[in-house]
This record gives sequence, structure tokens and C-alpha cells, in this order.
Amino acid sequence: MYAEQRDPEFGWTGEHRQLRETVRGLLAERAPVSRSRELAEVGERYDPALYAALAEQVGLQGLALPERFGGYGGTLLDLAIVVEEMGRVLHGGPFFPTVALAAPALMAAADEAACAEYLPRIADGTLTAALAVVEGSGVWSADDVSTTADIGGLLTGAKFPVLDGADADLLVLAARGPEGVSLYLVEPGTPGLRRAPMETLDGTRRMGRLTLDRTPARRIGTPGQGWAAVVQAREVASVLMAAEQVGAMAACVELTAEYAKTRRQFGRLIGSFQGVKHRLADMAVRLEMSRSAAYWAAWQDPGTDEFSFGAATARSFCSEAYLQTAQDTIQLHGGIGFTWEHDAHLYLRRARADMALLGTPTQVRAELETTVLAAAAELDSAVPAWPAIEVPA
Amino acid sequence: MTLAHPVDLPAAEADLADAVGAWLRENLPPDWLAAVDAGDHAAVERIRADPGRRAAWFDVLGASGLATPTWPWGQGGLGLTADRASIVTEQLVRYRAERPNQDFVGLTLAGPTILEWGTDEQKAARLPALARGRELWCQLFSEPGAGSDLAALSTRAVQREDSSWLVNGQKVWNSYAHLADFGLLMARTDPAAPKHRGITYFLLDMRTPGVEPRPLKQMTGNAEFNETFLTDVVVPDSARLGPVNQGWAVAITTLMQERNGLSGRPVVGQGESDRLVGRALTTGAWRDPLLRDRLVSAFVEERALQMTTIRGFVAAGSGAPTAEGSIRKLAHATLSEKLGVLGTELEPDGAVAWDAGERPVAVDAFLAMKTYSIAGGTSEIQRNIISERVLGMPKDPDPERHKPFQERSRG
Repeated sequence: MYAEQRDPEFGWTGEHRQLRETVRGLLAERAPVSRSRELAEVGERYDPALYAALAEQVGLQGLALPERFGGYGGTLLDLAIVVEEMGRVLHGGPFFPTVALAAPALMAAADEAACAEYLPRIADGTLTAALAVVEGSGVWSADDVSTTADIGGLLTGAKFPVLDGADADLLVLAARGPEGVSLYLVEPGTPGLRRAPMETLDGTRRMGRLTLDRTPARRIGTPGQGWAAVVQAREVASVLMAAEQVGAMAACVELTAEYAKTRRQFGRLIGSFQGVKHRLADMAVRLEMSRSAAYWAAWQDPGTDEFSFGAATARSFCSEAYLQTAQDTIQLHGGIGFTWEHDAHLYLRRARADMALLGTPTQVRAELETTVLAAAAELDSAVPAWPAIEVPA
Repeated sequence: MTLAHPVDLPAAEADLADAVGAWLRENLPPDWLAAVDAGDHAAVERIRADPGRRAAWFDVLGASGLATPTWPWGQGGLGLTADRASIVTEQLVRYRAERPNQDFVGLTLAGPTILEWGTDEQKAARLPALARGRELWCQLFSEPGAGSDLAALSTRAVQREDSSWLVNGQKVWNSYAHLADFGLLMARTDPAAPKHRGITYFLLDMRTPGVEPRPLKQMTGNAEFNETFLTDVVVPDSARLGPVNQGWAVAITTLMQERNGLSGRPVVGQGESDRLVGRALTTGAWRDPLLRDRLVSAFVEERALQMTTIRGFVAAGSGAPTAEGSIRKLAHATLSEKLGVLGTELEPDGAVAWDAGERPVAVDAFLAMKTYSIAGGTSEIQRNIISERVLGMPKDPDPERHKPFQERSRG
């Protein structure tokens, strides 16, 4: 569904670096973390002019979408670089829900007509979208989908919390119809649809509650095959969220290292105390391991077993690493880190909120058990310590 | 057949691997090759265990340059980069034709240090023997009073009128010292200089009278290391490596040998956690959801570490290790302890008692789990390195760094 990855693992190219610099520069100028804070404090969803600029000037929304749907045919890795930069400044708004969740779901559903209708508008920045799967349990499981679709395609049920659900221009929903779980599209204003913004721990991302009461909807993709599309979209979003978390963690480590190099107590820079140095070192280890896990996954091709495994590994590792890093950031800042004015709590809020999206790390590890068992089973059969040799003819 | 000059070696990875594979097929003893082809592990190990046959093979291998592929052409190697050398090593491992772990000090530490600092005579005398596996080497750096603060070593070398040196002192944590032919030795030659500036480096013949390695029993109950007593050991000046009192600079060369192509390219694959999962299935511990979560966590962490190793391997174009190596070492040490404890929890009785002769593997892993957080630089030292060199924190103060060694405090 995304362009094939051609460069060797971790073989960064000049294009990758250039993309990173462009996005970093643009965000530094127009959307630094102070701007994310400002939007959160006044309850603004996003900066529409910036969102348009991201599409028109850099083409970020369509970066990894296929060219026939108005995109630029880039790889998932390109997109990972973009969201990592967004994570650094806690960029919120419709970008992640639209580009990392709804668009992958549309593509995974492989409904040519729906893709042709909506993806070009996502790519040019004129349409925002949200993917609505969970229904309060937070668990990403087909069994937990109880929103129903009747024979006539009318949806009844509730979805919450849905990232950008109260505001997006297009809703992609998982609902249970006569054939099983399928994906459905609902546009705002449809009769029977109620959308309410929820209060959130992380003010930089808006979440909503959707209530559907015999709401007309358009089914997309193969009937009853919707859950497979959800699984694929969730894997893509997991890899991208891991990259986003790497950006946030990097910002935390830089912020804290900078503080430790300027703050003096007892006549010394606090960064000269081993208690501080060692906690910082542990933060650096977590950051680098997370970067490896996120980008190893981003380097695999979606649809492969490696990608699924990489997505789960990155999700489990990075979300826990990010939470601990955010906690340590406040700890090493001391009192100033506990104030409203300091950015540290924004990173902490984002870290905890991320854990609940896309399935908790505990759920992800439970899902990984099958893979782990398969790996262990191979171990038993691998009696010779080296691979069998194919004898050349 | 001898291998072509390195400039003739195929440039493409796959072709280089094929060329090495073809050379091995041509040169390995027929029964060795047959056993490998048949996947007969035990038969190959029997051949490798025979000292005569092993020596004969390492001689052929060493002459080809394949045992030390990063060494320069003309000095026992093929002049390959670490990346390309890893491809060679992978092929050797496939045919179980590689040099054993006990040659680590010789091949990885001694060889490159001699290449950088040795005289022509030292290179001619030692390098061919190292490449061909005729000498076993050990390291004589650490002392009871010089662990993390290695430069505080106090083994003394005094030059005599005939220019030879008289060495007295005690070294510790010396693997294979009781079997080794040579040792990499650091000794204090100028106690009036600050600690880093009064050290000289020697290539010590371990058969010299006064050199006494004694096995050191570790907390595991095994004795893989030695402590080595040096009493009135006479060392010729020709055994000195590098200038007098500049041994610390020579030692840096030794300590910096990390990435050398003598291990294959890192991969994401089976690790210690896989083995623990297998064990948990056998003991029934897998049925416990809390243990399952910890096992999968460890699995995830181990794979993330493997991914980090790959990233480090790709990023490090040169052979020089970086502070990023400390990140991996620290992560490895943390994981090792986690796995060591977890392993015992998978055993039905926590591996605290077993029937005679039935000692579970988990016990050994548990007792060895602290190895990596101490050996090769403690985790605390690694955290200092990461904090100072990666994050730019102020260097830890060392009040005695510039003080003459003999005036420093002792304890």
C-alpha cells in the first residue's frame, strides 16, 4: 500500500536528511511547542493556514499516498521522518488522525472508488478524516466492535474516544454488519450522528465521542473484511506513532540536558552530579533503543510479517520508554518542571495519552505472544548451530 | 590455491561471500567439509577439538589472510574494511572454520595494537604467528587497586642498566593467562609523573620466570579468569611496545578495538529470550499471564537492542568505537540482569534446589547475570561516558588527575 522501501536498513539518504530539515524548519517557524501549548490552552483544534501550507508548500499530507490518488508516492519511512519532527513540538490537530490513521484505513480497505474520491482531497489538505474503532474499552479487537450496521447500512452504536472524531470532515468507522465487521464512511451532518468533544488529558490532541442512531453510512471494501483493514491501518499508525514518540523523547532529552548544563546548585552545574548524569544516560539509552525500534519497523514493507512484528515491537517499547522519559524530564527539572508554564507536563500528558491509543503496550504484548511462540518453536528445531550448506553444483 | 590479492576480491557483497565460500570448499579438509555439508555438528566439533588438526587448519586459514581480513595486505591480512570483513567472517562461521573465542585478545586486541605501535621486528615476530593461530594471548591490565580507574595501576617496571626491565606487581581478571604465550602488560615506569603519563606498555612472554597466573574463583563457582602475580620478572626492552611512559596512548588503541569485522553482521533474530520462552513452555510457567508479559517484554527489549546494534553497525563507517557503544553495552547489561532473574522464575521451584547432578541452566545464567554490568567498564562508568560524550555533561572531577602518581591518596 505504500511505496516499496529500496534503501538498505538504516541507510539514511540525502533526501531523508533534506526532508527532515525542511519539516523541522517549517515547524520551528510556524508551530513550535509554544504554539501547540497555545492552541491547547484556548481549545483550538488546529491552525488551518499552517495545515494548508503543509499540503501546498511541502506536500506532507500526500507524501506517502500513491500518485494516482494525488500523492507523491513516498515511503512510510518518509512519513515517519515527518511525524518524528511533529512529535518534537507536540504538533496536534488533524494531521496524525488523517494521515496516519484514516488514510491507511482507506487504502487498506482497497475500495477504489472511495480512495479516488477522498484520498486526493486528503493529499491536497482540503479534507481531514478520523478513524473510529474502539468503543470505550480501549481494546483493538474485532470482538469489541458492537456498533451495528443493519441490512440497509444504517449504523447504531457509540465510538469513543476518537482522535479528532468531533471535528474531522470524514469519519471512517468499523461496524458489525450481517457479513461481519466492515468499514463505513460517514460525513458530518448525517442524520442520527451526534459528535461531542471530550475533555482530554493531552490538550494537544482533540478527541470526541460519536453516537450513531440509525445513521446512514457508505460501506467500503469487501463486506466482512473490514477488520483486516483496521489491523493494517493500526500497524501503520503504530509505527508512525513510535516515530512521533521518538521525536518527543529527543526533545525531552535535549531539554533536560540543556537545563542540566545551565542550572547551578551547591556551586555546581547540576549536570555534574552523577545522580543527574546517570538518569540522563538512562534517558539517552531509552531514546536510542526507541529510535532503532521505530525506524527498523519503518524500514520494513507494510504487509510483511517483519512489518507487523516491527510495529508491535516499536509500539510496546517506545510508548513505555516515552512515558518514563517524560517522567524523568520533570524529575531532573525539579520544581520548575512541576509548573504549568514549563513544557515538561505537556510531554508527560502526551506520553500517557499515547499509551491508550492504538491498544495499550500490555495488549500489544499479549498479541505478540503468537510471534514469540513461533520464534521459540524454531529454536527447538534448530539443532545444528549453523545453517545447512547448499552445495554448489 | 591462494586467495587473490585484495584488489582482485569481488566488490559486491554476494560475490565476496561466494569467493570466500569457494575458497573454503577448496581448502577445508574433505571430512570437515563433508561433516559441515551433512550438518553433523558433533563430527565437526570432534575435528576442531583435535589440537593437531586444528593447528593445521588455522595455519592454512592464516596464510590466506582470511583469519585477519582487516589487517593490511602484506602484514597477514587482506586490507578489508570492517563491513567486508564481516562478510568473510560470516562465511567462516557457516563452515565452522573460524578462530575460537579464546583468540579474542590476540586477534582483536594484540594484533591491531602491534600494527599501530610495533617496530618492524615486533610486527615480523608476532603478526604472522597471531594470524596463523600459533600463539594464545591474554590481557594484563586490571589490578586489585585499578579497576574502573585503570590508569591508577601500580605494577612497577624499573629499567636496569642493561636496558631490560624488572617488573613487580599483581594483575587480575586475566582470561586464559594460565595457558597464554603472551600478555599485553601495562606497568608504571615513572611514579613521579601524573598517573596517565608514567605508564609503559609491554608484550610480555608469559613463560618468563616470575610470572605466576593463579585461577580466580568467581561468584559463579567457575574459574575462567586468573590473577597473575609478577615477581622480579625480567623483560627485555625489545618487548616494550611504543615509547617509554606513553603506554596509556598505546592502551587506548587496545581499548578502542571494538568493531573489527571479526564477528558477522548483526541481525534481528533468535536471542536469549527465545530460549527462556522455550523453557517456560516446558516448565508450564508460560501459563502464568504475568510471567508471559515479562517474557514478551524481555523479547521486545532484546530485539530492540539487536536493532540498535544493526543501526550502530551501519552508522559506524570507521573502525572507531563511539560513545554509542556505551549505550549498547549499558542496555545489554540491564537486559542481562532482567533475563538472569526471569530465568530462575520460570523454574518450578525458582531454581533454588535441584536433584544431584540436575542443576538447571537458569542457575548459571542467574549467577553470571552481573557479568556485563561490571566487565569491560561498569554500568556506572558507561553512564558517565554517555552523559559526558553524548549529552555534553561536565566531566566527572578527578582531583588526582594531574598529581604525581606517588603523591596520590591510596585506598
